[in-house]
Amino acid sequence: MDDSHVIQGISWGDMVAHMERGGMDRGMVYFGYNLILHYVYSYLPDPPVSPSPAATLSLSAAPSPPDAVDRISRLPDAVLRDIVSRLPAKDAARTAALASRWRPLWRSAPLTLADSHLLPDGGAGGQLVIGAASPRAVTDAVSRVLAAHPGPFRCVHLTRSTMEEHRGEMARWLDILAAKGVQELVFVNRPLPIDLRLPATIFSCASLTRLHLGIWRLPDTAAVPRAARFPNLRELGLYWNSMEDRDLDFMLERSPVLESLFIMGFQSGLRLRLVNHSIRCIQLGFSFAEDIDVVDAPSLERLFQFAELTDSPKMNNGRSTRKRSSMIKIGSAPKLRVLGYLKPGEQELAGSKENIVPSVQILGIEVQFGVRNAVKKVPGFLRCFPNLETLHVHSHPISEESTGKVNVKFWQDGGPIKCILQSMKKVFFYEFRGSRSEAAFLKFVAEKARVLEQMVVVVAIECFSLGDDNVRVKLKPLTSAKWNSKACRLELFKSPVTDGSGHAYNHELASDFEFADPFDLKYYKRAERISVS
Amino acid sequence: MATREAGKKMIMLKSPDGMEFEVEEAVAMESQTIRKMIEDDCADTAILIPNINSKILSRVIEYCNKHVPTTGATGAAASDTVAPAALAEDLKIWDAEFIKVNRATRFNLIQAASYLNIKGLLDLTSQTTIDTISDNSLEEIRSFLSTKNDYLPEEEQTIRRENQWAFQ
Repeated sequence: MDDSHVIQGISWGDMVAHMERGGMDRGMVYFGYNLILHYVYSYLPDPPVSPSPAATLSLSAAPSPPDAVDRISRLPDAVLRDIVSRLPAKDAARTAALASRWRPLWRSAPLTLADSHLLPDGGAGGQLVIGAASPRAVTDAVSRVLAAHPGPFRCVHLTRSTMEEHRGEMARWLDILAAKGVQELVFVNRPLPIDLRLPATIFSCASLTRLHLGIWRLPDTAAVPRAARFPNLRELGLYWNSMEDRDLDFMLERSPVLESLFIMGFQSGLRLRLVNHSIRCIQLGFSFAEDIDVVDAPSLERLFQFAELTDSPKMNNGRSTRKRSSMIKIGSAPKLRVLGYLKPGEQELAGSKENIVPSVQILGIEVQFGVRNAVKKVPGFLRCFPNLETLHVHSHPISEESTGKVNVKFWQDGGPIKCILQSMKKVFFYEFRGSRSEAAFLKFVAEKARVLEQMVVVVAIECFSLGDDNVRVKLKPLTSAKWNSKACRLELFKSPVTDGSGHAYNHELASDFEFADPFDLKYYKRAERISVS
Repeated sequence: MATREAGKKMIMLKSPDGMEFEVEEAVAMESQTIRKMIEDDCADTAILIPNINSKILSRVIEYCNKHVPTTGATGAAASDTVAPAALAEDLKIWDAEFIKVNRATRFNLIQAASYLNIKGLLDLTSQTTIDTISDNSLEEIRSFLSTKNDYLPEEEQTIRRENQWAFQ
């Protein structure tokens, strides 16, 4: 292990020295890498095929005793090829030995390969532990499959090899993937090191429609041929890669039909300056939130941020980012409809014209109601969205002492908030903890909102520790409020989450344009409803 | 004949054994094959569905009726009160019932789903076969599918050697 291995801007040697001074050993560092890998694996798209959950299923699912007629062989080639292409690669290739009717099918059906299915347990054991020997058998099998199948490659997921040990294979694989027309590629390097350079051949894979890359140092784009581009790429996911801002710009620039961008983890502070005409959905997660500037994005409909690492100084080269608030600037994004979760108090928000973003209809915000300065930022945020129809508020706990209450008077004295007065139809409040600040906010909305149709309040489990009466008392300001919209339904739920984490975020739904409100996961419907009276 | 009934556009589907089925256009368009015909304006009169008998075609229509996305005012209201997960759960149960058919019918449905290009139905009908092939030995698969091994022993050995990684 040499010092060039870098994690989040810290060299391996520095990190080990730092951890050893702190009484930790290398095992802890491995634990950290495993944690990263765990997150990467959990956010990667699933392979389109998976091994049968249990062999017993196939036996019990056979609805009638087999008759002697070989019906399946009578199906047209196209149907049999379709069936073969839905099998894990190993099972698919084995069908060639069933009977001569099956022999040409695997090679003539588009290839679907997930290397986790080549593990002895078919990947059922989850991720491999870092530091354990690289599964050479899997790497070798991948080489054979890629060589044996003539293409096209519909879908190839390579996530189980430590590529540092297989640099030759890595280069050959990419050559083959480019030559045989891979359409969907998930390529994750198993650390260590986490900054292995991905060969620039990736830019030769012009047939790609979906590309997800994890734990690489992206190719030096200065060395990439000028003509290289991804003319068909619609979805790009980048997971804990180390890259320069210009590398990201380069990839976006070379992907003229890209619709969905997912960036998780970023080796340095993320500065995204977006000038892009095709992107419809952006998701940013586990990044050290820095500046996002949507300069010109005429197709952008959805912008998500989740799990920013705003207060993890240890992982950010020793610098604490807590004091510095990040900036989200929305310039020209006329179709931007869904935005969140923003964090008033930790982020600054700027619209282009008079500081407003008129297109946004659905907003998610995360508010520390115990922090006076955070709550005081909320009205300013809401004023940026004069046509907001749905507001999701997640009440975030604070570890330190509360810095003061914000009462109803604060809201009343602050002047009108147009969206609450005129356009707000639905308000969802997650993990209500019973503080006066929270109740004051909800009461204010109830008494001002003219067209409100529905308010859902999910009460945190901790609020029930002092009994149901306590909950009733805490909600009293809301239940006894003089509602401006008589037609509004108030729905109260006891939260099903026990750790206070509240809102679940589902990255797949977020980029599913059929799903109108990706923040409305209705997780609270699993729990019991509380009567309003 | 494309007709109008209660504001919904109807489409006539004909099976080769002479039966006619009048279905809503939206339901028929669950089939990408029919959707393309309609979009290319080839569907003015009844659409003949070759190779799919009336018994199978009626089951296919039953499936499409159940799976056509609900739209309009009632659809919006329903999704407001019922969690999407619950709807999906409902459909899963329905699907499990739907696919309790004999093998002959199942293979006919696979063929119909493939010709009509109905992805959900193809997924559903071919899943049993896929499960059978996954994780079973070649002998077991042949027995389940009533497929006869027509290879000479040395031929089968060659094929196994060609894809040795798959037999380890």
